[in-house]
Amino acid sequence: MTINNLLKLTFLSCIVLFSNTLSAQVRGLLQVRAVQGDDILSWQEGGVGLYRHDSKSDELILSQGILDFNIDLASNWSAHGVLNLNQAPDVGLGFTQAYVKYQPLSNSNYKWHVRVGGFYPLMSLENPDIGWTSPYNYTNSAINSWIGEELRTVGAEVTIKRSAKRFNSAHSFSFVGATFKGNDPAGTLLAWRGFALHDRQTTFNEGVKFAPVASLNEYALRWQANQVLPFEEVDGRFGYYAGVHWDYLKKSQFRIYYYNNNGDPTKLNISSGQYAWDTRFTSAAWLYKFNNKTRFIAQVLNGKTEMGDNKLIDNAFYSHYLMLSHKEGKNRVSLRYDYFEVTDNDITPYDPNTSHGEGVTATWRYNINKKVQVGVEASALKSFAENRAAIGFNQRTSQQQVMINAQWRF
Amino acid sequence: MIKSLLYVFLLSVSTGVFAANITIKNANNDPLPNAVVWLTAGDPSSVIPPEAPYAMTQQNREFKPRILVVPQNAKVEFPNADSIMHHVYSFSKAKTFELKLYKEHPKAPITFDQTGVVELGCNIHDWMLGYIVVVDSTIFAITDEAGKVDLTAMAGEYTLSVWHSGFGDISNVESEVVSVSSKPLTYKIKQTITEQIDFATDEFDDY
Repeated sequence: MTINNLLKLTFLSCIVLFSNTLSAQVRGLLQVRAVQGDDILSWQEGGVGLYRHDSKSDELILSQGILDFNIDLASNWSAHGVLNLNQAPDVGLGFTQAYVKYQPLSNSNYKWHVRVGGFYPLMSLENPDIGWTSPYNYTNSAINSWIGEELRTVGAEVTIKRSAKRFNSAHSFSFVGATFKGNDPAGTLLAWRGFALHDRQTTFNEGVKFAPVASLNEYALRWQANQVLPFEEVDGRFGYYAGVHWDYLKKSQFRIYYYNNNGDPTKLNISSGQYAWDTRFTSAAWLYKFNNKTRFIAQVLNGKTEMGDNKLIDNAFYSHYLMLSHKEGKNRVSLRYDYFEVTDNDITPYDPNTSHGEGVTATWRYNINKKVQVGVEASALKSFAENRAAIGFNQRTSQQQVMINAQWRF
Repeated sequence: MIKSLLYVFLLSVSTGVFAANITIKNANNDPLPNAVVWLTAGDPSSVIPPEAPYAMTQQNREFKPRILVVPQNAKVEFPNADSIMHHVYSFSKAKTFELKLYKEHPKAPITFDQTGVVELGCNIHDWMLGYIVVVDSTIFAITDEAGKVDLTAMAGEYTLSVWHSGFGDISNVESEVVSVSSKPLTYKIKQTITEQIDFATDEFDDY
């Protein structure tokens, strides 16, 4: 265990010990799973598989170890953090979110709050549970798998809300604007691996490996590492995003965001092997409750990313998913369809980035009590990636995965 | 409790105690549910609130009850039955306060020493809306679906006051002098009532 991890453990113990004296709330989730994985090695292990697990993971795995804390610093100030313990690909402890929130109490009809630190832009409706997990499927959609691994901003975000209640209206609106540093390498995985389907969020201190694609042996890409450090600052420029939330009676919830990391594609950190990618996209998410048992969730992501001099890499990416989830007593059943694609728009002949695929994921979860839940999930996907050929794999693959999960909340 | 039961018992054996049957109607003459009705007579300083605190609970991200009526100087506690924090506040003239509430750490009750309507909100769950109506009386109730209340009172002259959360100005209580006897009473609201909007919320909506 590194000094870094020891420090975190000490910090963590302090939080747990003092949570009774401080006005603080600490919640946690431990989830273990047994997986019948696919033969194709996972990208986590340097393979071309698009699932988190493969046949090497046919044993009991700690799939989520989450500690979420919320500390009141003063009447209007609070500190939030999510600490994740991961077993694979390496054992590690790290934060996926850490920020301070200022939310003044005011009698105005418009409410506002500020978040400063590292956090997710709230553009998705699939991950409202503790530590940005999904209460629906275990395996996230392609969109949110990508957001969980490559998207996190370290910056300041302001939200102004026109609350429905205040106007005795059925509609409420939130307007969100943020500026941030870091997150320059976001887009790397889309270029060389493409979208994937998993629930492995990257902690701030982690890198994500991908298969040793052949083009990284070319002279022009000699500095690029065989992993991405997604939250690194490379070009010194600020990025930004802006979004609008529109709720109708909380029955229909719609969110639209535009994100632009404003990366300078010519900038590169040679020592870490990371480029700044100019990644910008629009995300639209919609949740609709047919009744208090059945809901529909959809999200569309459409964007572009560019890296290197003279558009060495210039890709467009697109994905959508459609999900239906039904809750009946202690049971919840969720069914999701994903489509994803990356289009190579540059003329660099040795680095093909085109990939696409689709997947179906079906999940059943059963609450034994308020704290303990078990569930099973089956999923299948087929995918195509042009760059697999040069490293001796079939460009087209299909994969299946079945898993049994047990989780405990505290 | 025993004291108040005894009090009711003594009142009942003495002459002229009625269960005043009062119906509240809106401007269209339809029965009005969820209206707060109270009777006052004579010296308001004779209003003695019970020792035990009332409770305004937060459960499933809603206030429970949505409307709580208490006599002046009553104590109210704010238990949080949810596993997440609530930040309950009021900017109302009758009582301005804020409480950060956790299930595990209940806070001391608050005394409501001014009459009036206290509108409650939650700084985290902005759809949460509740009211504490502080009245200078111990004779009060909230109308049922048929717009009716039964109030136990001695025969005589009273001021009948009515309040509803759909009033345009929520501090605008309506009142009228009535004579309580065995005859049922009907009171018709003069103001227009704004329909309250219900939000279909669940445990994932504060994300």
